[in-house]
Amino acid sequence: MDIKRRDFIGKAALAGFGVAGAGAVLSACRRKKADNKELGLPPILKGAPRGKKLRAGLVGAGARGTGAAINFISSGPDLEIIALADIFQDKIDACRERFASFNLPIPEENCFAGFDGYKKLMAIPEVDVVLLVTPPRFRPDHFLEAVLTNKHVFMEKPLAVDPVGIRSIITSAKKASAVGLNVVTGTQRRHQEDYIETYRQVASGAIGTITSAKAFWNQDHVWFREREPDWDDMTYMLRNWNNFCWLCGDHILDTHVHNIDVINWFMGKYPERAVGYGGRARRVTGDQYDFFSIDFDYGNGVSSHSMCRQIDSCANATGELIMGTEGYTNCQNTIWDLKGNIKWQFEYPKDENGTPMNQTVIPPYVQEHMHLVHAIRTGEYVNEAEQTALSTLTAIMGRTAAYTGRAVTWDDILKSDMFLGPSKLEFGKVDMVFEAPVPGTPVITTVKPAYKGQII
Amino acid sequence: MIFRKKIQRTSVSRNTKYWFFISGLVVFALLTFSYKKAIDITSTDKFCASCHVHPDADRSWKLSTHYNNKSGVVVHCVECHLPPRGQGFFLAKARTGLKDLYGYIFKDTADIDWEMKKLLEYAKKHVYESSCIECHENLYPVTLSVNGGNAHLLYETSKDPVHCLNCHLNVGHYDKHAALHAADSSFGITVTSTGPPFPEAAKVERFEDFTEMIPGTRVSFDMVALPGGKFRMGSGENEPLRNDDEGPVREVTLSPFWIGRTEVTWDEYLAFFRETSSQGRTEGQVVTTGKTDAISGATPPWGAPDQGWGKGARPAITMTWHAASVYCQWLSQVTGKKYRLPTEAEWEYACRGGTETPYFFEGNPKKFTSRGFLKKFIGPDTANIASSVVYMVNSPARTQEPSFVRPNPFGLLNMLGNVAEFCLDYYSADYYAADSVRVNPRGPARGKEHVIRGGSFRSDAKDVRSAARASTRTDAWLVTDPQMPKSIWWYSDCIDVGFRVVCEIDSLKSER
Repeated sequence: MDIKRRDFIGKAALAGFGVAGAGAVLSACRRKKADNKELGLPPILKGAPRGKKLRAGLVGAGARGTGAAINFISSGPDLEIIALADIFQDKIDACRERFASFNLPIPEENCFAGFDGYKKLMAIPEVDVVLLVTPPRFRPDHFLEAVLTNKHVFMEKPLAVDPVGIRSIITSAKKASAVGLNVVTGTQRRHQEDYIETYRQVASGAIGTITSAKAFWNQDHVWFREREPDWDDMTYMLRNWNNFCWLCGDHILDTHVHNIDVINWFMGKYPERAVGYGGRARRVTGDQYDFFSIDFDYGNGVSSHSMCRQIDSCANATGELIMGTEGYTNCQNTIWDLKGNIKWQFEYPKDENGTPMNQTVIPPYVQEHMHLVHAIRTGEYVNEAEQTALSTLTAIMGRTAAYTGRAVTWDDILKSDMFLGPSKLEFGKVDMVFEAPVPGTPVITTVKPAYKGQII
Repeated sequence: MIFRKKIQRTSVSRNTKYWFFISGLVVFALLTFSYKKAIDITSTDKFCASCHVHPDADRSWKLSTHYNNKSGVVVHCVECHLPPRGQGFFLAKARTGLKDLYGYIFKDTADIDWEMKKLLEYAKKHVYESSCIECHENLYPVTLSVNGGNAHLLYETSKDPVHCLNCHLNVGHYDKHAALHAADSSFGITVTSTGPPFPEAAKVERFEDFTEMIPGTRVSFDMVALPGGKFRMGSGENEPLRNDDEGPVREVTLSPFWIGRTEVTWDEYLAFFRETSSQGRTEGQVVTTGKTDAISGATPPWGAPDQGWGKGARPAITMTWHAASVYCQWLSQVTGKKYRLPTEAEWEYACRGGTETPYFFEGNPKKFTSRGFLKKFIGPDTANIASSVVYMVNSPARTQEPSFVRPNPFGLLNMLGNVAEFCLDYYSADYYAADSVRVNPRGPARGKEHVIRGGSFRSDAKDVRSAARASTRTDAWLVTDPQMPKSIWWYSDCIDVGFRVVCEIDSLKSER
């Protein structure tokens, strides 16, 4: 009899998606300092271990993609980028040039432009690892193809833009774990030593039982592209993807998902329900909002207030705060008691002058790749896809609450058939019309936002 | 101290002790050996088949994927019908063994209703989920489809337990009608009747029985004119085996109306399906009632909605309440009359046919019911009821054509039994006490589930009484629908509910 296997799919799993969480392990860990494995934390590494050479293919060769590829090769020895895929040839060329300038040429026959470039890249048997760094709308298809072609995966958050995509990611994640493919996601706070150590404190009871939280990602406006005369609808939207909901998922997914993920992580569960507001005050292009304010209800009176905004000259800051019965924390490096006295602080490494730095030496963007390579080379399995998919789903729940003005439950959103974007991905005219969603618009049974208006 | 005293008192010679020990060992060894042997022998397929003498079980097993598959693996009887060793194997073996022994000695296999035992609720009792999972440890093989993934996610996250068999009922014993894993796109497309289609609907000039004709098809059905008037609705405190939601008894007055002589048949429902079925998903679409708007009907079903029992004159089943009410809208549109589902009061009035007894025929629910310890030995009384109602005792676990039973005093067939019938009203257990409307009551203003009446081929005699009430169970009846959101047209997990139509008296005036 295989106890482990039955635990995996036994009745316990039927209760729902569960995570350990700082709150959940509190009582068990008061006695001794729990180790990383017990708390579900990644190892903190100075570099990925040596091992068999790993060749990676990059899917999505834009700025973050090129950055991720560089992060990958700098995370340890014998790591290479050998293939590129992107919808646009100019993005491939720019990325290839960048790597050529490092004296790391990428063969031209391994570079694939177009909507199906990723399939050609993953058909290369030498590719061991794929880095999936396109706009999130494409992630579910890319991840499934990676699992079908037996590749280990790094993929950026968010993992999808709609519940259909989220369910696809979760199913593919389970397929990946069945065949032992490692998956690391770009929720870098989970790989940051300061966050990890703060989590350990909270898990050991440093702030007591969690009673409330807030999460905020309030920043200046983000990039956008005006339409150029020779761009067809699809080209324009892809070039300006960060401003269209079907490609980006709106900024509550794109950036705020980091904070939402931290709250879910510390809470050890996912919210039951969301009610919220949002709107579009100053955004120039696309169909997205530029501010959201969501109440995520975690049950038993515990809520997280989630804010995000992309407007200049406002009270802008990003971070988290979690309140407990015995103190509170910024989740990143400090724990206070209820009177505001510092109870604990993470000790950052000191620079050459002996003054403490304000961050860890190894950037979390590199740390996450070290974690992936470590898992592949040591066999210490990792798969973060499901947890990041569920945090992305949390953000989708909040977005839908704001777009519709309605309360959205976890069950509603998990089972929703919302599927954003055109049914066919090809260049040319897109038979969709866009306008920003207006709360209170009648919705019958699905929570699909109605697209009307012009592509602006 | 007490222990020592005891030892002192026992005086057994050393020799005797020795022999006790040796013979104990021998007995133990013999027992262990024969026990193991006995367990092994009684766990072979051959041994199982020696009592389970219905050849269909053996044949359908050999046709199933658990015997007949590419890999050549054969899954034996006990590997599904007993839990894995270490997970209650011996207890379950002892229990089923005793039951089988009892059945072998005291029962005639010809009397066993094998069809009934194939139904999900029975199958669940003798197939162990732990056994499924013992072999199928990976629920997410790389080749799993999108719908498969959704279904297994549901299995893992559902608050209500879902059994493997909910979706995979026929994997151990092949059933040629089971086709759950593919959308049945050809469902209902074949038209069997010949002859010219009806050019127009029935013309009704007087309030009397008539035969409705669906224009453009060969399908017709009988409508019976009921004069309306006063009747006593519900069951009195002294009716045997009644439930609390059937009271208090109210005197209700109804306007005249027509009601279908039979439950809506597959022929009738398929006329609607063929004309209106929508290829794509239309979940969430509003269906308008205006006559000029085209009605958008059901999506193609999953699997075989008729359960392989045949269509024709059998009652249509597995459509949702929503689908049934869209059918009525469509029927109104094509016939120029006002069709709808019956209100609960109209239904009970039609069912009673002037009677105030538990059934529209003579008899006592206590004698008819199969429940209770004594009934196991003496069997229930079936006089009167078996000729008038398709229910648990006479149905062989499926619907029957209307000609199977005798009509009620109004000339209506299958008001009780065969399939339970949707009513227009929302269900509320305390509605009879709360409601003050005595003329044409329409049920609570709000609700989630609707009333169903009459019981079905699966019901015990106590649930096919004229006053017995039940309600739809939307969540439970869609539990294995692999789509998200679930279909608004077909129930995946309900096989014994259908409906009959009512035509309003206004149709006389609105006649062109």
